Amino acid sequence: MQTAQTLSSRSAPPSRKRNVSFAWLGVVPFFLFAALFLILPSGILLVGAVQDKQGNFTLANFAGMFKGVSLGLVAAPSQANLLGLTFPLPFTVDFQSNSMINAYILSIQVSVVTAFLGGVIGFLLAYAAVLGGLPKFVRSALLTFSGVASYFSGVPLAFAFIATLGRLGFVTVLIRNIFGFDLYMTGFSVLSLLGLVLTYTYFQFPLMVLVITPALDGLKREWREASENLGASAFEYWRHVAFPIILPSLLGTMILLFGNSFGAVATAYALTGGNFQLATILIFRQIRGEVLQDPGLGYAVAVGMIVVMALSLGLYYWLQRRSERWLRR
Amino acid sequence: MAFLELTNISKVFGQTPAVQDFNLQVEKGEFVSFLGPSGCGKTTTLRMIAGFELPTTGTVVVNGNDVTNKPPQKRNTGMVFQAYALFPNMNVAENIGFGLKIARKPKDEIKKRVEEVLAIIKMESFGNRYPYQLSGGQQQRVALARALAIQPQVLLLDEPLSALDAKIRVSLRQEIRAIQQKLGITTVYVTHDQEEALSLSDRVVVMNNSKIEQVGTPFEIYNFPKTEFTAQFVGTLNSIPATVRHAANGELTVDSQTLVTAQKLAGIADGEAVMISIRPERISFASEGRKPNVLNIKVENITFLGSIVRVQVRAGEHLFLMDTFNNPFLKLPEVGDKVEITFSKEAVLVLRHASQI
Repeated sequence: MQTAQTLSSRSAPPSRKRNVSFAWLGVVPFFLFAALFLILPSGILLVGAVQDKQGNFTLANFAGMFKGVSLGLVAAPSQANLLGLTFPLPFTVDFQSNSMINAYILSIQVSVVTAFLGGVIGFLLAYAAVLGGLPKFVRSALLTFSGVASYFSGVPLAFAFIATLGRLGFVTVLIRNIFGFDLYMTGFSVLSLLGLVLTYTYFQFPLMVLVITPALDGLKREWREASENLGASAFEYWRHVAFPIILPSLLGTMILLFGNSFGAVATAYALTGGNFQLATILIFRQIRGEVLQDPGLGYAVAVGMIVVMALSLGLYYWLQRRSERWLRR
Repeated sequence: MAFLELTNISKVFGQTPAVQDFNLQVEKGEFVSFLGPSGCGKTTTLRMIAGFELPTTGTVVVNGNDVTNKPPQKRNTGMVFQAYALFPNMNVAENIGFGLKIARKPKDEIKKRVEEVLAIIKMESFGNRYPYQLSGGQQQRVALARALAIQPQVLLLDEPLSALDAKIRVSLRQEIRAIQQKLGITTVYVTHDQEEALSLSDRVVVMNNSKIEQVGTPFEIYNFPKTEFTAQFVGTLNSIPATVRHAANGELTVDSQTLVTAQKLAGIADGEAVMISIRPERISFASEGRKPNVLNIKVENITFLGSIVRVQVRAGEHLFLMDTFNNPFLKLPEVGDKVEITFSKEAVLVLRHASQI
């Protein structure tokens, strides 16, 4: 009997007790935070965007975004304006009567210009620090500054720019007193669109430095030497090897900068007091009810922003993955 | 006149000499290896030939042209790097054709040449693959093909097999040698692996502490090392202090036992302390047949290494290693046994005076 019991217990399948790892406890705060401040608000936005004031389902909020827009394809040539520069278009678009679409266009314009400026300035700085043969302390100093400056935005940044480049700002007064040159006589104003672009660029280029530095570090010395050995000049190396290798990172980071600028609200609001109708400011006003209390329309505009941001981030990750595949050892 | 001439080459980084007093002549089609430990200056010398480093003093002459101050682009050398250095944004065919594209060769010519070298490395169907889709061995073969595509005057290989696993290393080194012999290209190969250097090269340059220790054929380097470093670095070696008993007859004493060397001990006085060296594979058990030198020893350890069995033995204070070929009928003594070992007079090399060590 005893033998039978022993055999029976031996032949039984091993116990499949699943041990729950306590490591999950460590990530609970993250998931809680994400649920409360990302998933839940996004859900509220999505639901709110398809509800009228009585809570009934409607697509009128999205339709309202395009209210008054008329598009005539190839009907009559027109011109598009991008921060003062005009471009010919083969069709006519009339956004004049639609503040929503205008807000999107202005947001996209500011984001494209600041992403480009921040991208170029950041890349040149990172190049000088990583590959320019400068002393090592320059790199450490630049990276430390970039780490701080990339998070310096909102009201403090707006105040810093007003205190520096405002009509009575430190630098404005200094230039006036030393060189007798009044910056504001040229038409410049820190409260203008140019001022906004400058202010945004201040937190854009450090982000570029931080993200592109590892990509520049990833350029192996052997690639340059191999290309030289095969007869290539420095220009040919950059044209055929280095630039194509870092291009996905470069474009990806610029897209990240675009998203960074597109989603910013506090800096613009604090700097210009809402003079410029950026999409984020419009959403803020719609939801707060300062102009037209139409939260549903505000939610719809916000969902549109989420779509733009998601597309930007999706493209960024796709480019990053492509770059990583190349750079993997 | 030699095809590649390095004359009085030296290189100093800051205050640190990386290469000193380096003189070497390499004939056309010759395969020469620089062999030495890390930091001995072998890669720096190779980089001076390629033009990535300028010598502090001395000249580099290739095919009669002084290229000492020419940039790498103007030297027509093909370099293969340890970490492959394939361009990740280009496929195999584009990598191989890169040098020809830079030289603005016609597209048809580039295509033909790429196909030729792909055939040489036996990777004809890999032209459209990207480096990340290849194994380490395949990447290194492509790197070799890329260097060969431009038809360089000198092929330079900087530890090209170090990043590969043992089996691939052996097969690829045979492939490199076969390609080199087929094309008759003058080749300089840097390695710290003695087996690689000995198996591949026409001549080996052994380097240590930024200087050449010895230049010779693999046979000379292994069998007749001129310095203790060469003897120690190339192969396994027993180095034992001994005393000259009768220099004229080549007699020495180790642990009160007498040995004889075939080497002439000119300039060494009787009673002088010297260092002798004996390769492990030249020692055998006296039971298998006696040679002129016989020592009484005690077996300390036996290690099975596959094709050979390594036996550690003790003669007084001195430990020796001896290697014997493995075979299923081999009869070895037990650890602790006291037996006799034997070796020929020619196996005993007197390297330098013990007092100078």
